[in-house]
Amino acid sequence: MLRTQLRRQPHTGSTGATGARMQHMVVFSVGGQRLAARTEEIAGVMPWTGATAVPSDTPFVCALVRQEKGCLPVFDLAAKFNRPLQDGEPLCLVVKHVDGPLAICIDSQVPSLHMVARSAVQYRVGHDPDIAGTCIAGEEELPIINLTTLGVSSNRPA
Amino acid sequence: MGLRGHKTAVVSSGLAVRFLVTLMGPMHMAFPSHWVRGLVTPAEEGADGHVTWANASYERADLARRLKIQAEGVTAETRIVLYANEQRSRSFAVDRVVGLIDVERALIQPLPAQFRGGERERLLGLFVESSYIALIANPFWVLELPSRNNVLDVFALQASERRPGEFDSRLRLPSAALEAASAMSVGSAK
Repeated sequence: MLRTQLRRQPHTGSTGATGARMQHMVVFSVGGQRLAARTEEIAGVMPWTGATAVPSDTPFVCALVRQEKGCLPVFDLAAKFNRPLQDGEPLCLVVKHVDGPLAICIDSQVPSLHMVARSAVQYRVGHDPDIAGTCIAGEEELPIINLTTLGVSSNRPA
Repeated sequence: MGLRGHKTAVVSSGLAVRFLVTLMGPMHMAFPSHWVRGLVTPAEEGADGHVTWANASYERADLARRLKIQAEGVTAETRIVLYANEQRSRSFAVDRVVGLIDVERALIQPLPAQFRGGERERLLGLFVESSYIALIANPFWVLELPSRNNVLDVFALQASERRPGEFDSRLRLPSAALEAASAMSVGSAK
């Protein structure tokens, strides 16, 4: 379900060396906010089938979504960014969280796969530990979100 | 007198836990049925909120508020659950009674680790049914008793020890609830 957008990069050496200088990123949007994430942090994308609310004190984790015979906790990324989800049929992004698989409701726009030059990736520590830095993908500068540690160290809105 | 219309849920093997499944707001809340002493309509409540049934008094608890659930308010479907063990008793309102269900112990899932707040004390876990996900309330928390480890093991029944048609005789229902109880649906989480 991922659209691939491979952009030609200047040839800078052997194939292996070039590969080492590239970072695979997935770009998706939540309430119109476009975000990038490392490909290896994503387990899959599936249709959003609706969530079951959970009376929770954990910021942004207050629902469950069915997956096969079990269910996954839901992280409300739209609420974190104070953005309403866009109209349309949303998708479920399943991420490889340190505490186990985690679901995120994302906009209906299918996530796209990008190969980004490492020089276009800027990792830096900011005020929000869920944001790892920025990258330039498809000619837009996007925040990189730490999906594997989402919500672990940040309990405050972005 | 048991639940009219109750059907014995089939459990293939191993341990099972019997739950009373209810609706509270939009959520399916499940309570281990071992401590359910009865179901009554709100009309059975005294002016002080207490319910007296079979010479036992049940103090009213606003469980929806404690669970931070927006309940519907009193409707024709509202029922008061009488919940008690040897130490303590409480009564609390639910928006609707869904029914009794036997769930294999192995099919009960813990609350995912991403839930880190007070809900870990309030909720023991969950199980997935065909049409809903039920959250399991911690019965010790419901009765405002100190919790303990492996709570559900206290309530687990050996499925192989129950004969077809056998019903948990610990669940006795006041007559006031029988009409509603007759409409209960019973299933088995597999």
